[in-house]
Amino acid sequence: MIELQVLHAIVPLLIVVCAVLVARFKDLISAVIALAALSLLLALEFYLLQAPDVAIAEAGIGAAITTAIFVIAIRATKRT
Amino acid sequence: MLRKVAIGLTLIAFGVMFFAAAVTIRPFGEPPSAMDDYIIEHSQQETGANNAVSAVVFDYRGYDTLGEATILFAAATAVVMLFRKRKDEASD
Amino acid sequence: MSKIVRTVAKLLTPAILLFGLYVIMHGHITPGGGFQGGAVFASGVALLIVAFGAGRVEQFLKEHQLSMLESGGGLLFIGLAFAGLATAFFYNFLVGSPIFGHVPAFGPNPGDIWTGGTIPLMNVAVGMKVIAGLSAIVLVMALASSKQGEDE
Repeated sequence: MIELQVLHAIVPLLIVVCAVLVARFKDLISAVIALAALSLLLALEFYLLQAPDVAIAEAGIGAAITTAIFVIAIRATKRT
Repeated sequence: MLRKVAIGLTLIAFGVMFFAAAVTIRPFGEPPSAMDDYIIEHSQQETGANNAVSAVVFDYRGYDTLGEATILFAAATAVVMLFRKRKDEASD
Repeated sequence: MSKIVRTVAKLLTPAILLFGLYVIMHGHITPGGGFQGGAVFASGVALLIVAFGAGRVEQFLKEHQLSMLESGGGLLFIGLAFAGLATAFFYNFLVGSPIFGHVPAFGPNPGDIWTGGTIPLMNVAVGMKVIAGLSAIVLVMALASSKQGEDE
């Protein structure tokens, strides 16, 4: 049980670290990759909280579709 | 100076609100209504689905799913309308 | 994209698409459902678009076909909702009937796929809608961005 409590402390901390990195990165592609990592960690946190439905939706939408849309938009604005 | 004081007061207010919410939140797994017990006990007989979340989303609360489908339809229609290649400017 | 990305995309895309269809079809037994499975399927399509360029994907996946699929899913969803109108809007009228009509035992059990009444059909409808909608969004944006210059 203690491992689960430690995991519940570590994963939100990593989410906060990823959010700060998203705001701090100057390179837009790096910021998008950090956002995808944030979404994956958020999906892991949903799974730890026993909500696998929301975890699948978050992993599909947040980590894949949003990243693809952001990368396409950044490539279209010529700011690599 | 006034701006810094305003920002600090706003941050303190938000901190107090989040702290109050974190202290007074209910324990995990004990929502404050009796609807969840009804769904856990009756959803398998009434809808025949083993997945209670699916039973809630598509049967008990179908209107919410209808609204979500409407939002997705509107978003896809707007994006396709904005970015579709038109006949008159397909040459460039 | 590079050759590594293309090879990995060739290997992984069938598995991702199959997993999306599995999540849609088993939405009333296991975690998941139409929205989640459609998102997984559309992420596979997005991987194809990123790896091979929007031009090659557009040769076999037209935008007006996706729009028709999305409208069809929406119509199927609304039609199933209206079909139970004899009792109530969104009433599950197929429980106990020969089509998807088995009622599982109470409590945790593995279940079988022939249960759920209208829920599997609504999962398929919403899955069609989400697949077509998200794929159309990504495909149209990629086409519009690759128009302005370099492709891939």
